[in-house]
Amino acid sequence: MMKDPFGGMLLNTAFRILVPFSLVYAVYVLILGESSPGGGFQAGVVMGFGIILARLILGEDSGIFNIRLKNSLALAGCGTFIYTLAGWLTLAGGGKFLDYSFLPVAMEETHELHALGILMIETGVTICVMMTILNIMDAVVRRSED
Amino acid sequence: MQIYTVEAILLVFLILITGCIIYERDLLSAVMIYCAFSFGAVLLYLMMGSPDVAFTEVVVGTVSTIFYVIALKKIDRWCK
Repeated sequence: MMKDPFGGMLLNTAFRILVPFSLVYAVYVLILGESSPGGGFQAGVVMGFGIILARLILGEDSGIFNIRLKNSLALAGCGTFIYTLAGWLTLAGGGKFLDYSFLPVAMEETHELHALGILMIETGVTICVMMTILNIMDAVVRRSED
Repeated sequence: MQIYTVEAILLVFLILITGCIIYERDLLSAVMIYCAFSFGAVLLYLMMGSPDVAFTEVVVGTVSTIFYVIALKKIDRWCK
């Protein structure tokens, strides 16, 4: 009955396996980006790829994964804001811009502060890149509908 | 010495693929051949010892192929 809910075995398998895998793998790439290949940009593109795949399979009318153009633009700005917020926090802690040793967080070790700061700016880069890719997708689809 | 030979073969392969893309009349085939170009570039980056750039190339090549195919839905497939 609910054997092929997304219209065919290929789309069903793609949605059930590829979309969750790419979303989880993006978080993995983001978290382990300091010690292995990867980082904010790659994580953002992988996450955007998962959402684009879901939108291609489900169609434009479905409610799930359908981020509107206005929201995606605002979220891209939020990603840039998170990046600069890390810099402002270090300025407030008494250091230079993006000097992670001066983050106003109660941690003794310096490398822990560095890891926290890098994770913060990479989260911002991830959100910005993902939403920018969704913006490009929206622009291409909308242009083709005119 | 052997690694340089493989790199040279890959570079010649990439140049041939680029020529194929330029002279291809079918735009959908051109997009697919561009995907092969991306894969060859990934192998070259891995051989040059930068897995970070190779990972970026894999992901961006896949996403840009999706964008090209979506854009091809509205324009004419054949280049006359």
